[in-house]
Amino acid sequence: MIESVPPRSKAPAPAAAKKRAVGGGFARYLVVRFLLMIPTVFILVTLVFLLMRTTGDPLTAALGGRLPADQLAERIHAAGYDRPLIVQYIEYIGQVFTGNFGRTLSDNQLVTDVLFRYGPATLELAIYALIVAFIVGIPLGMLAAYLRDRWPDAVLRVFAILFYATPVFFAGLVLKLIFAVGLHWLPASGRAGARNEVALNRVEGKTGIHLIDAIRLGDGAIIGDVLAHAVLPAIALGLLTAGIFLRLVRTNVIGTLGQPYVDAARSRGVSEFRLVRHHAYKPALIPIITVIGLQIALLLGGAVLTETTFEWKGLGFQLVQYLLARDFVAVQGIVALLAVIVAVTNFIVDIIAAIIDPRVRY
Amino acid sequence: MISVSQKARVRLGLVAATAAAGLVLAGCAGNGGTGGSDDNVILVGTTDKVTTLDPAGSYDNGSLAIQTQVFPYLVNTDYNSTDVVPDLAESAEFTSPSEYTVKLPAGLKWANGNDLTSSDVKFSFDRNIAIADPNGASSLLYNLDNVEAPDDTTVVFHLKTDNDQIFPLILTSFPGAIVDEESFSADAITPDNDIVKANAFGGPYVITSYDFNKTVEFAPNTEYKGLLDAATNDGVILSVYADSSNLKLAVQEGEVDVAYRSLSPTDIEDLRGNDAVKVVDGPGGELRYVVFNFDTMPYGAKTAEADAAKAQAVRQAFASLIDRQAIATQVYKDTYTPAYSFVPDGFAGATTVLKDLYGDGNGGPDADKAKGILEAAGVTTPVQLSLQYNSDDHYGPSSGDEYAMVKEQLEASGLFTVDLQSTEWVQYSKDRVADVYPAYQLGWFPDYSDSDNYLTPFFLTNNFLGNHFSDSEVEKLILAQAVEPDHDTRIQDIEDIQARMGELLSTVPLLQGAQIAVAGSGIDGVILDASFKFRYAPLTK
Repeated sequence: MIESVPPRSKAPAPAAAKKRAVGGGFARYLVVRFLLMIPTVFILVTLVFLLMRTTGDPLTAALGGRLPADQLAERIHAAGYDRPLIVQYIEYIGQVFTGNFGRTLSDNQLVTDVLFRYGPATLELAIYALIVAFIVGIPLGMLAAYLRDRWPDAVLRVFAILFYATPVFFAGLVLKLIFAVGLHWLPASGRAGARNEVALNRVEGKTGIHLIDAIRLGDGAIIGDVLAHAVLPAIALGLLTAGIFLRLVRTNVIGTLGQPYVDAARSRGVSEFRLVRHHAYKPALIPIITVIGLQIALLLGGAVLTETTFEWKGLGFQLVQYLLARDFVAVQGIVALLAVIVAVTNFIVDIIAAIIDPRVRY
Repeated sequence: MISVSQKARVRLGLVAATAAAGLVLAGCAGNGGTGGSDDNVILVGTTDKVTTLDPAGSYDNGSLAIQTQVFPYLVNTDYNSTDVVPDLAESAEFTSPSEYTVKLPAGLKWANGNDLTSSDVKFSFDRNIAIADPNGASSLLYNLDNVEAPDDTTVVFHLKTDNDQIFPLILTSFPGAIVDEESFSADAITPDNDIVKANAFGGPYVITSYDFNKTVEFAPNTEYKGLLDAATNDGVILSVYADSSNLKLAVQEGEVDVAYRSLSPTDIEDLRGNDAVKVVDGPGGELRYVVFNFDTMPYGAKTAEADAAKAQAVRQAFASLIDRQAIATQVYKDTYTPAYSFVPDGFAGATTVLKDLYGDGNGGPDADKAKGILEAAGVTTPVQLSLQYNSDDHYGPSSGDEYAMVKEQLEASGLFTVDLQSTEWVQYSKDRVADVYPAYQLGWFPDYSDSDNYLTPFFLTNNFLGNHFSDSEVEKLILAQAVEPDHDTRIQDIEDIQARMGELLSTVPLLQGAQIAVAGSGIDGVILDASFKFRYAPLTK
């Protein structure tokens, strides 16, 4: 017996079915990615808590040496640091999930205030660094692909490795020695001169991003000063990512240049330069977007060193200060926030990548 | 319609124009945007960080440096003097053994226009004690029973013990700052921004812009009527640096006019040879010293060979072998000077007891003398000494070099074999009070400018060192000098304590830190004195 075929009219229309499948797939992808973020953040916060406590309680770390032992013990007891670790951990997790990161021990600031005060500076530096990475990495990557296997390609590849492998603080020190100390072209440290810092601090409803605040002030000299202070830190941090972009763009452009549609264009007599510029580079940029998510973590790690080298008073700089002051409450809060930023950024980048390239969802 | 290539060209043009504009603006600003103006605003750089502007919540140099400029003090020390004299007050004196009475002039005002009366003074001390912030210095008010304000211009401090000679000194220090009762909280630390917003200042300056641990802008306070002269400059901008090498670059490049606390010894040495700046030296109160644990040191009370006389001989031999000048010069480029007593040079009653008793008598080492001391006590040589120092820069990055040199000097004599170890600060601070270290490094910054601050915390039986030192004669002398109203008798007590401690050597002082500021060659009025307060009012250019 031949099985009957269901009536055609009951089957969903192919276009509508595809649309539903795609829409459902994206929603499912979004939900899964979001849910995955929760255990990631939870594990990171737990690890930070445990690592901080391996060296003892925060009060001994901050005040030991100046107080008699009995007074110190009193304060440890009052703060509850002599309770079992698991009790402290549960309390800490509860506070974190209600947005309460506590107060810093060394300067009695709300950790959330610290995050809001210094976060914009780190964001500003990260944006400058990304701009440097794009400006340097993408054109040079395309050039390396265009001149594939010729000597400029080899030189650029070596530079890419150097950019990536050179420690950020070393690059920063070298740049500082040459352009600030040696040539006196650029300032050695800070985000603006002392007078301009005061002017920027007076901006009503300041954003903390100096360039925006300087533009709002409308003073060309202050904008110039802010940009001058940003040049060296942006290059020091940006070159790190530029090296990765350069190699990635080169590899992807070379891969795209071997695609049939590029061959077809080539057979129509389109020049190699035009092929790279108009046909190969756009598809080659898509992987860059996914890599940016990973680069944010690298940039934040690099920002700790860059900000310290250039006295760029952002979260990375402040993290080092609190580490030196053995203020583990502050360190715990800042590291937890950085972990959240990395997780959220990766989530956003994954969404963007999924929108641009639907294959990512499957 | 614009073609694709035209669009690309437009985009390229925009990018190029933006980059060019940025470079032009940056070029226009250069380093010029950072300072170098012709007005008489002084740019000061420091590495000292602020805990809080509220005097009830801080006990650190960075906070005090700002509080000194903006809050009034009842009494103070004048420039280049150690005598406590009225500042905000009209008069301040003991009116009975347990009453210290202060009279204020009538008509005083805060910068915000509020009346400054005795009620503010009472409020300031009452709240400090009530808040007792862990980061604050309320512990220094240990002898204050209560404060009375019988009228608008009279304040009476009732003290727990009679004739407390230290109390007026404490009024010049951390808890002595007077605050506006209409702007400060009575039972909690007032946030910095609230203080600035309320313009609750009464010192020589007011704060006109405040960015926590970044920049602070000061303007002269026209309402100030205290001891110090009115500001000779148009204002001061304080920039806080985290890294001393950046501070050095800033003063070298003229980005700041004065760098005060703290440049590294090598940077200071380098700047001394720079004609564009001048290095100003002042007396220092920092003390670096070795602590001996009387229980666990060689022949200590809890060791198998416990023998107090032999243990004392070991400490005395140690003191005879140390070449302080060599450490000061070779490790610290003479930014520290040898400390030959427990009370640093420059303080009333300071002696050179260790120079007189040990070494060659001129401050140098003497191995024969050390050998004689050990032989006389019957100590077998070489003495095995375990010496500990802090490894993570709590006392500066040169501690390793300093203690390597101490070890070298001790072992060169053949009388000691030193096991030199270092420990990270958290563990270090626990271990040292748990009798883990027989001998170890510590440092001290004074709370107030008086010899007592180098004696009471160290050598009473329940001292902060916790090294099991106790001596009834020293105890009696320390307690006596603290309440001795006669100046000469008190000085004699302080000298006697040092003489006795010179024999007993609970600690062996090594070095005394100097205050150092570096100023641009056109800057005048940098005064570093025994108040250990860097005052901005006399700075000018």
